[in-house]
Order: sequence, then C-alpha cells, then structure tokens
Amino acid sequence: MNKLGRTVFYDRHVALGARIVEFAGWEMPVSYPTGTVAEHLATRRTAGLFDISHMGRMLVGGSGAIAFLQHVLSNNALALEVGEAQYTLIPNSNGGAVDDAYLYRFVEDQYLLVVNAANHQKDWEHFQPFLSDFPNVDLRDRTKELAMLALQGPMSREMLLKIIQSGRLPEPLHNATSIARMCDAQVMIGRTGYTGEPIRFELFIGREHALRLWDKLVEVGATPCGLGARDTLRLEAALPLYGHELGRDIEGKDIPAFAVPLSKFAVSFSPLKGEYVARAALTRQQAAFKKIVFGDYSLISDLPRMIRPIAMVGRGVARAGDKMFKDDACVGYVTSGTTTPMWVFEGEGLASRPTDQHKLRSIGLALIDSDIEEDEKLAVEVRGKRIEAVVVPYHISSETPPYARPIVYGCKLAQKKSSNEEGPRKAYRLLETALQNTIWRQQECINLIPSEMTLSPMARLLSVIDPAFRYAEHKKVKAFYDAEIFYYQGTDFIAEVERLLEEEIKKFLGCKEVEMRPISGQMANMALFSALVDYFNLPDRKREQRRIARVMNHYLGKGGHLSAQPLGALRDYLARDPNTERPAVVNFPVLEDNRYQIDLPATLELIDRFRPELIIFGKSVFLHKEPVAEVRRFLEDRKINAFILYDAAHVFGLIGPQFQDPFAEGADFVTGSTHKTFFGTQRGVIGSLFLEHEKRYELWEAVRRRAFPGSVSNHHLGTLLGLLMASYEMNHFKDQYQPRVIANAKTFARALKDCGLQVAGDPAVGFTETHQVVVHVGHGRGPEIARRLETNNIICNYQATPDDEGFSAAGALRLGVAEMTRFGMAETQFRQLAGLIQEVIRNGSDVSDQVKALRKPFCELQFCFRGDEYADVLKRLRNLL
Amino acid sequence: MKKMSEFRLPDDVRYSEDHEWARLEGDAIRVGISDYAQDQLGDITFVGMPNVGDAFSQKQEFGTVESTKAVSELFMPIGGKVLEVNEALEESPGLVNEDPYGRGWLILVKPDNPDEFNSLMTKGDYAKRLKGAE
Repeated sequence: MNKLGRTVFYDRHVALGARIVEFAGWEMPVSYPTGTVAEHLATRRTAGLFDISHMGRMLVGGSGAIAFLQHVLSNNALALEVGEAQYTLIPNSNGGAVDDAYLYRFVEDQYLLVVNAANHQKDWEHFQPFLSDFPNVDLRDRTKELAMLALQGPMSREMLLKIIQSGRLPEPLHNATSIARMCDAQVMIGRTGYTGEPIRFELFIGREHALRLWDKLVEVGATPCGLGARDTLRLEAALPLYGHELGRDIEGKDIPAFAVPLSKFAVSFSPLKGEYVARAALTRQQAAFKKIVFGDYSLISDLPRMIRPIAMVGRGVARAGDKMFKDDACVGYVTSGTTTPMWVFEGEGLASRPTDQHKLRSIGLALIDSDIEEDEKLAVEVRGKRIEAVVVPYHISSETPPYARPIVYGCKLAQKKSSNEEGPRKAYRLLETALQNTIWRQQECINLIPSEMTLSPMARLLSVIDPAFRYAEHKKVKAFYDAEIFYYQGTDFIAEVERLLEEEIKKFLGCKEVEMRPISGQMANMALFSALVDYFNLPDRKREQRRIARVMNHYLGKGGHLSAQPLGALRDYLARDPNTERPAVVNFPVLEDNRYQIDLPATLELIDRFRPELIIFGKSVFLHKEPVAEVRRFLEDRKINAFILYDAAHVFGLIGPQFQDPFAEGADFVTGSTHKTFFGTQRGVIGSLFLEHEKRYELWEAVRRRAFPGSVSNHHLGTLLGLLMASYEMNHFKDQYQPRVIANAKTFARALKDCGLQVAGDPAVGFTETHQVVVHVGHGRGPEIARRLETNNIICNYQATPDDEGFSAAGALRLGVAEMTRFGMAETQFRQLAGLIQEVIRNGSDVSDQVKALRKPFCELQFCFRGDEYADVLKRLRNLL
Repeated sequence: MKKMSEFRLPDDVRYSEDHEWARLEGDAIRVGISDYAQDQLGDITFVGMPNVGDAFSQKQEFGTVESTKAVSELFMPIGGKVLEVNEALEESPGLVNEDPYGRGWLILVKPDNPDEFNSLMTKGDYAKRLKGAE
C-alpha cells in the first residue's frame, strides 16, 4: 500500500498533529489533537474546516453534456441554472446507487461533478460505456488540479466575508453557487455541505493556491476537522453515506434509492430526462413510496425497507451492522451509529443560544421495514444485548440559522399552565390585561411596525356597532342589468356603505373598478390569482384548469411578501416550470449596490426571456418606487401579453403624486391592505382600470366572482363600515399626511445614518421613498436587538436582509414611520428617536423612560375628523354599546 | 501523533497485555486503561460497564469503551468481583481521556487470587512492549 494519495494539505495536517489514517486510498486526517468531539462542537458553534480534496471531481463539458448527465444521473440537470448545484445519484439499472454526488454549475457551459473518494474510480469506469452513446461529451478528471475544502458552521459566512477580495458569496439559498476572489485566486463557492449546518460552504480552488486559502481560513478562526467529525456531523444530520445508507445492503443487495429520504430531491422523472438509467426501477420505487407515505403498504415489496433516524433510549451505542428488532422479529439493521456530542442550548425560541455545556447522545441511522412508524419503539441488538431505541424524524434542525440545533427525543416545550379560575374572574382579568396592553401600545410605546396603523376614534366606534354582526352577501346578476342582489333582508344600510366605500377608493386610486370584499391584502391577492386562472380557462370548462404559466415577482428573501410567493398565496395558482420542476416564478433582479431596488435592464431581459403572464410589483421591504411605467412600455414595445399587478399593501396609503401612481404608470391591477399606511380597519382591496366594453373586462368579472363566492361569504361588515370613515379621512387629509410620512422617513433614515448606523437604500434619494427605513445591525443580531428595543418601548420588527439565510439569522430592523406620523410626531421627534435607538443598539442603554416621555405628547391621533359638531352623535352611538 | 516517550506511565500501577492498568488499594484492585490506550481510541464517548457484584476471571471481557469511531472491549487484568464502578463516566466518559489513571478509573475489584497481580507488567516492561509496537 505505498501508493496512497496525499492531498495538497497533507503537510498541514501533519504539522497540526493530526492522526492520519488510510481512507479510500488516501492518507487523511481522522482527527486533530483536540479530538473529534471538540471538532464536531466547533463546527456547530463557530466553523469547521475540512479537507475534502480526496473526493473525486470531474468536469463535464461539450455540447452533449446535458444529454449525458440526464442519462447517467438521477436528477434533472436541465433544471440547474448557472449559480446552482444539486444533489444527485449515479443510479444503476436496478434503481440502486453506484454513488451519490453533487453536480455544480458555476459557469454556463460546464458542469462539475463531485463524487465519493471511495467510488471515484468505479464511477469513472461506470461512465465510460455511456460516452460512446453521447458524442461531444468532454469528461475530464480534475481531482488533482482542483483542491476542495468545506467550511461549515455559524461563523463561516463571516469568515469568508473577511477574506473575500472581489465578487460575492452565493445567494443565501441552499445549493447556490458563485465565483469570487480570495487569497489572490479564483474560488468557486457552493452553499453545499455534509454537516447539516444551515450556513455552509464548499470551496474549490486551484491546487497551487490552495494552501494560502487553508492558512487564511485557519487564521480567521476556522477549526480544522478530520474525517471523524465529518462522520459524526453527517450522521447527526441524517445524511446518507455511501457504503452505509446507499449502495449495497448487509446481504449484498442494492439498497433502493428511494429508501433514502433525500432521494425525493435527487430523483427526477421529468420527461426531459428520456429513458435514463434506472427510470423504470425508480418509477416503481416512487409508486411504492407514495403509498407508504400515507400508510398504504400494498406495494411495499418494491421498497421493503427505508433508512430512518433512530435514537437510543436505553444505555448503549448502536453500531453499523447491529440488528434491529420489533418484538421478536428482526426488522432491519443499523447502517450507521455512534455517540455524537451536542451543545446544550438555553432559553426558548428565537432567544435560545448554545451554552458552554455539551452532552453526548447515542444515535444512528437504520435500514428498517418500511411499515415502521415514527415514535415506534424498537430494540437494537448491541453485542448480544437488546437495547431500546426509537424511530425519530431527525436529530438536528437546520431551519433556524445560524445554528443547527439538536432535537432530542422526548424533549418538549414547557406547557403554560391553564387557568383554574371561574368565568367571571377570567372575564375581569381579561379586561384588565387588555386595558394595560392598550395603554402600553397606545400611550407608552413608539410603534414602528410599518404594517400597522391606529384607527381614528370614529372609525373605531363604527367598526363595533351594528352591522358588525350581520351578513350581507351579494352579487351582480345579469338578468337584472347587473344589479347587486343581496340574499338577506336588513341590508340596505350596509349595501349603501359598500357602494360609498367603492366610490371613495376609486377616487383615491384613480381607477374604474374596485372590489372591497376581501378581508385582507393576502386574500385580495389570492382572489386575483384565482380570477386569472378562472379567466385563462374561460374557453374550456371541461378540462382540468391550467394555472398561471409564469409569474415575475420579488423574491421573499429580497423583500418580497408571502402574498405573492409560491410558498404563500401563489401556491395553488401557479404552474410548475417543466424544465426545472419548480414553481414557475422568475424573480426581479436587484441592483448590486442596493439590493432593495430593481435592476431594470436585467429585469427587461428576463421578461423577454421568460414571458411571464403576470408581473407582481410590490413588497414588504419597500424602500423605492417600482419601475411600473418602464415595464409597461417594454411590454407594449415587445407586444408581450402580461398583466401587471401592483401589490400596494405597504404603500397603499401613499399612493398619489408624493410617491407613485401605479394606475397612471400602467398597472392593470392594484391590490392592497387598508391598514398599513392607509387609515383603515384591517381589510383588503382590489382595483382595476378595465372598462365594461373591453374584452378583458371578463377578467374583472372573474375577480368579482372569486371575491364572492370564491373567497368570502360574509365579509366582516363592521370593518367595512369603519373603513368607509377611514377612507373619508384619507381622501380629506392625504395631501398633508403623505408628504409628512415621506419627509419623516427620510429624516429618520438620515438621523440613524448620522448616528453611525448602517442604513439601507439609495442615499441619493435619502435612503427611502416610502414610510420604511431599514437598518442593518449585523448578521443574526436582528431578533435580539428587536427584542431589546421592545423592552425599551420601541416596537419594530427584525428583518432578514437579502444576504441573510432566513428570519432567525436576520441582520436588520425594519422601521416604519406611518403610525407615529399620524400621531403627530415630526422630524424633530424622529431625530431624537434615532438617538435613542442608537443608544440601545450600541450601548445597550435603558431608554424606556425617555421613550415614554417622547411618546407622551403624541397620544392623540391626527389626520381625522374632530370637533364639537360630532360630539352629540358620537355620544349617542357610544351609549348604544 | 504522540511519540511513545510522551505517554504517561506511572509506576504505582501494573499493566496488562490489553493495555489495562491495575492498582493495589488495600485488599482491592482499581482498574483503568493506560494513557496509550486512551490515546489510541481518541475521544471516548461511551463506557459500557459491568454491574456491581458481577464476577469475571482474568482476561475475561468486562465491558466496552467506545469512541465516535470504534468499540473496544475491556478485559480484566485480574479475576475477581466488581465492588464499584465509576459512575461519573456515564455523564463524562471523556474523563478516561483526560485523567486515565485518576478520575478516569473504570472499576474496583475484589481479586479472587491476589497473586495474579504479580503476573502483570511493571512500568518498565510495559514501556518496552510499547516501544516494540512503535
């Protein structure tokens, strides 16, 4: 065995005192002197650095590359855009795995396939016979020339940001890739890994530059980790290892690919893949899998056993090969098992943090009968003794970056005590606590949640009197020349209220039609999406409805709102892209130097390429005007048939010359919520410019149908009445209110900036053109700082920036000035407030009393009707409560 | 990796072929694993212990010591009955790595035949044996 390979980092491992072992023909570090446990814990706490240059790396290029990859890999290579990577299997014709692999697309015309070290030669040979069927494939081994490191863990992003010279890190999405410059060399970066860490990178760099990168990463604090920690980390993350969970089972038979839960994402049945290796076998496995998921075991013979995480209940360590029993029947065996360390976390929810304590637990993965369910108690035969174990869903959760958090079997949240009090006592307590909360929120706090607005006293009173308790369903009936027909009696008053409200909102928006029945902004969007599907399917009512073929929107992570996302309101109305097998959205590209603003030229290019049927402007982090007019012009020039929706939710109350006039600029629809910058009760609205004689008016009729009966039957008449008053207030006061809001926001942004805080947005326009201000407070610090501000009576929300991996890693605060502006706060007060916020963020000071004092003179709502002429009628109304 | 000369080999204990140590404490024998053994195993994450009262003969397996990577059997350096087990190892098996001759002890045994103790290696013999393994 004198032909063992050494990676370019070998001397570094030896110098660090690593224990070197032979692994898959390589001399690799299994651990460094601090040991596997410390390395595992360092990865979960800060960041681990792994030499993974022993893995096989192959470049696939040439005009036949995609066809070849589609044939020999299980995933859909065509779905891979530049800047993405995907997990895939190299299947055999039995539906087992020759290997599992990662396919990267860093550049347009070349794919990089990373395979297991132990299978490198086998994979290479497996590919050779197929090459003759696929001409023009350039398959090259690049294992030697290209070194590979993994940097995994909560601090890994910060470490890379310290050393990056140019370019940027991949977008904060699993499997995103990018190319950047570090240590004077080009580094290809993937947000991939084998540890379960939510913040993770794998780095490819030319061999000749690789040592510089290693040294630099160690210098900025990465902990070198050996194969030992790599194995315990991947086991804790329940990731499969070839030779254990994939490949052959204990009897030498192929483990079906679908036995591994991750295969769901690694196997594609897209017609674009043709008759690829294993399609037939994988199709059978998937059919069985689909039934097993719902507890139907009629096809279990095609997928008799599956890989499941297990946790030991009794004292003992399960090891690979140990048999598993249910009662006295052998139901499978352990494929991987050991004791793994975990940090002990303290605190609850978002505030939970790792302590300095760690614990050990005995966990594993097992290939067991597919009819065994979660939480079932089994036994593992460890060295002749049966020890109790349980099937668990997972061992860690990666859904709240920056940390991968241990999920321990049997650990539950402490339940809050339920009250034993009698009804009358509970009623009194409720009144008391509601009183305290209202005093706090209305008189002592400074509320900067941009989605919120306090109702005027009149609008409030109207919201709770009759007809708050009534029903008034209605629809237009053609037989009566489109008269609105109500189904119940006693509705004349509210019918007139709704008509008047429509008039006010039409006047406000400058449009021809409005639909006021949706009771939230999200519902307004859903009614509109549903109407589009209804409209597209008008010509054929017998077939399954087709969905919206493609939507352009703001990505959630870049300030988009759930009400326009596939994971939110769009889900059931949006088609899947036949190429990518993913929801057919294309996101607005944003400017490099201001990721809160649309990149217009790049957007127009994408519109031309993807031809969306619906373009949705508007977002929840809304700092700048949207380029509605420019996009409308482009659609007309190119004769592209797309509807433009302007979701004004946040800026509904700012619509007009002070900010933006979407209908005048070319929007087909405006939706919104009536209670953010607008003065209203919490409801939704849809507006349109379509005219009755136009062909497309049929779409508006569909909107009406999808509002009622599609979305609501009763539509909360109390808030409808309150909203009418709020609309009177808005139309009367908007010329004073709107410029004050925007001026306050700009002043606030400037003051925060002057305090030394990092304010987002374009400085050339004063950072913001709306009521919102976004302040960056440091990666992952948003939740803690927002909480700290709350204890200081300043209410805002933590906000993930476009660079953050999720809400729990949020590095910003979103602040809105609308409500406090309406309470009369002006630029002087916002300057003072900026100073107080800076005190809390920078110095951790207690400014709760100063905040209360700042709020005190501003407890009476402005921009609403007041005066003696209303006193008598208000009193009579109040007496009716 | 450590050199042989770097291992701690106290002379108040005797050593077995299987890298256990035994220390005479009055009528009883305390048992653990050598510094060399713990180093070879790496981070110890689990110790499988016998019950108090169990009896074993010399060289019989009495438990396991496990690292993240592997399981190793523990063999009695001397036959006898288990008087005590080191319960601290249940929570903190890493003590075997940190302090193999002290807080990382495994069991206390009442020997059946105290003469067996004399069959074990002295520090010098054990050091020679480790050199041979180098």
